[in-house]
Amino acid sequence: MLTTLFLGMELRSPVIVASGPASHDVNQISLAERHGAGAVVLKTACSDKYQHMRFWPRPRYKLLDWDKQIAGRSKQFSLYSYEQGYSGSLEDYWEFIRVCKRHAGIPIVGSIFADEAGDWAAMAAEVEMAGADAIELDISSPHRPGSLEFDTTSVAAMRAVVGRVHIPVLAKLAPGTNVLKQAEAAEQAGAHAVTLCNRLQGIDVDIESQRPILHGYYAGIGGPWAKYYTMRHIAEAYRTVHIPISGTGGAITGEDVVKYILVGASTVQVLSAILINGWETIARMNEEITGYMQRKGVDRLESIRGQAVASMTPPDNIVRWSGEPLDGTRNIWKEPGP
Amino acid sequence: MSGTQKYPGLPLLPPPFAAQQPPLAKVVEEKCIACDRCLPVCFFDALRIEERPGHALGRSAVVTAAHCTGCGLCFETCPVDAFVWVPDMSSSPSRPGTRI
Ligand SMILES: Cc1cc2nc3c(=O)[nH]c(=O)nc-3n(C[C@H](O)[C@H](O)[C@H](O)COP(=O)(O)O)c2cc1C
Ligand code: SF4
Ligand code: SF4
Repeated sequence: MLTTLFLGMELRSPVIVASGPASHDVNQISLAERHGAGAVVLKTACSDKYQHMRFWPRPRYKLLDWDKQIAGRSKQFSLYSYEQGYSGSLEDYWEFIRVCKRHAGIPIVGSIFADEAGDWAAMAAEVEMAGADAIELDISSPHRPGSLEFDTTSVAAMRAVVGRVHIPVLAKLAPGTNVLKQAEAAEQAGAHAVTLCNRLQGIDVDIESQRPILHGYYAGIGGPWAKYYTMRHIAEAYRTVHIPISGTGGAITGEDVVKYILVGASTVQVLSAILINGWETIARMNEEITGYMQRKGVDRLESIRGQAVASMTPPDNIVRWSGEPLDGTRNIWKEPGP
Repeated sequence: MSGTQKYPGLPLLPPPFAAQQPPLAKVVEEKCIACDRCLPVCFFDALRIEERPGHALGRSAVVTAAHCTGCGLCFETCPVDAFVWVPDMSSSPSRPGTRI
């Protein structure tokens, strides 16, 4: 029922484990599989030039605004974190893919980060050779060096990778005002799908010491509140680009996954909810999606994809009424009472 | 907010020794009420419950130092603030000056 065709892969669920600490070790793949994930995107490997990103500050995760519901029932939190690439060497990463592929029954998506096009292409070729079913290009990490420009570096990276490998290529973009233009650029560069979106960069401050918390620099920030702008980005891209969209950012329930599909996503990548609420999140999402489909008489998710975008009301057609009082009074000052 | 809650969870700043030695999470066993809340959030397989005959509850959470990456998430889950940072003396000093 949940079977989703995505980039030539038949996924048993549209729910995918997003790149991060839940896909950093081979033994997490069987957990993902056992809990019903459709696929796993592995933690991003950085090129040797960014070796320092393989080292992480301690501590590196802080939960802010957390409702502290245990047993996997949290609905509100902001996960503030600073964790960059896969912690091993590139050789370790290729072996990571090989071991995952030897044991996993679900597709394995490699994920890489570099700067020069040549490095991107060489790493992508290794990911393919190690057996990954697809590759995601992390051109949008909130921790990437600020000097890397999308229009030059990222576009060249996408071109180089698409020209080198035969497996499907996903471009993971950052949220913000440019996401639509970037999705179009990704499509033009030959990417087979876009992942929308990575997390935002933010900062929190300790008012006692008057310093930024944890490692002392900006951090990645996300949480269930991200779903609203994520859905907007998906909806906009769905209208404009012709390649499939993998939604990511803020999904914590099966209902959220349904919503992402209704605004145009083919698959939904989840991480924070798994970290905070546990691996059972995936199984629960699958159950909730199935329940929805049964209730609405939907037999394939493809049939509802983009429905909410198709029924959006353009601003010119929004039914509007006067915001003025019926009797037409205005600008009549009343002294405030005591 | 965090500073005003009864159980603030993870301290907002790293422990003072973090620039010299990598911090590891440790459970203060006398405080632990063996509620199991921390276990599922550790994605690095570093937390387990062990029998502790001398303990008021007979069991306590324990950190496997060799697996702990010092991420800080377990601190957030603990209802009695049983987690503390300890320096990992077996490790060489952390790499300071990470370029951003
Ligand atoms: C701790 C942490 C580490 C992450 N590491 C990566 C990474 O290495 N590569 C990447 O592409 N995205 C990374 N992400 C982003 C996630 O893959 C995901 O797209 C994002 O968190 C939004 O989804 P969510 O709201 O379900 O967490 C990371 C996110 C978190 C919270
Ligand atoms: S600090 Fe992180 S890695 Fe270490 S025990 Fe706690 S949750 Fe596990
Ligand atoms: S959350 Fe705290 S009290 Fe509960 S088992 Fe873990 S260390 Fe012990």
